[in-house]
Amino acid sequence: MRSGDGNYTLSLRLYAIIFFLCSLALNAGEYYISYRYITKNALLYNESLQISKSMQKCDGNPTQSIVFETVKENDDLKTIIDKNFDQFSNFVSKVGLEIKHYEKTTNYINNSTTILTLKTTCFKVDFNDSFVKIQALK
Amino acid sequence: MKYSMILVALLSFSGVNADEKVEQPHEIRNTTINIECPAGECSTPSNSMTQLEVPSRDTNTLDKNERMIISVIGQGVAPTDTLSPAQAYAMAKRAATADAYRLIAEKVKGVKVEGQDLIKNMMVQRSSIRTSVAAMIRNANLVETTFKEGLCEVEMEITLYHSDFMQ
Repeated sequence: MRSGDGNYTLSLRLYAIIFFLCSLALNAGEYYISYRYITKNALLYNESLQISKSMQKCDGNPTQSIVFETVKENDDLKTIIDKNFDQFSNFVSKVGLEIKHYEKTTNYINNSTTILTLKTTCFKVDFNDSFVKIQALK
Repeated sequence: MKYSMILVALLSFSGVNADEKVEQPHEIRNTTINIECPAGECSTPSNSMTQLEVPSRDTNTLDKNERMIISVIGQGVAPTDTLSPAQAYAMAKRAATADAYRLIAEKVKGVKVEGQDLIKNMMVQRSSIRTSVAAMIRNANLVETTFKEGLCEVEMEITLYHSDFMQ
């Protein structure tokens, strides 16, 4: 048989857990990200990172994920990725990059072009108080 | 008749001894061929000459429950007109990563090569070679990055499983 005080503490715990779970996922969304860079003769020539918020729900299940720490709460996804680009680059290589390489040697003079592309992929992004979780959807 | 009998006898005698002769000074004195054969497999000289080792096709195949790690080192150069050394490092690293990807793609999928020579009046006017690689690479690991004197080297590896090639 439970006492009145016991039920009060139980309900308090439940509210605390619900509040904690809500605070964990303050803002979640789905984003389309594409990334491409070109190198010519072993020199970086062009780089582009495109991020767009999805206007409708993406299909697919979360696969690889990465967590970034955030300093400011109001940082948008592009700023967060720019700040942690090395980690994001490694993460993207896990997701999968398409490579196209062309090389032409004319009269023993060599010219090469390499294009690395992350095709437009949907990512689930959870913004929290101090970190952001990015998951690739496939 | 007497001489012919002696000649026949001499010829037959030399024919019998020909199998036992090891040295033939006029034929193989100046050539040296060393062929290693397993014991008992090279019975006659003619067989030993033809039994050269040719790697079988099954040597580099990936069996079930096996994995193959491919490791490459890509190189990239830092541009000279950068705002800071950090920017130079970042750009060189991108270029080195792209080079490492290219090397992995070359190893796994192969290279398309196209060559063209223009010859005019028995002289080569233009010689051109085009190579191209196209692949999709997943789960590549960046192992180590080194930057020295404007050259960035990225060590990258990929693990291949038998199931990766199943369709």
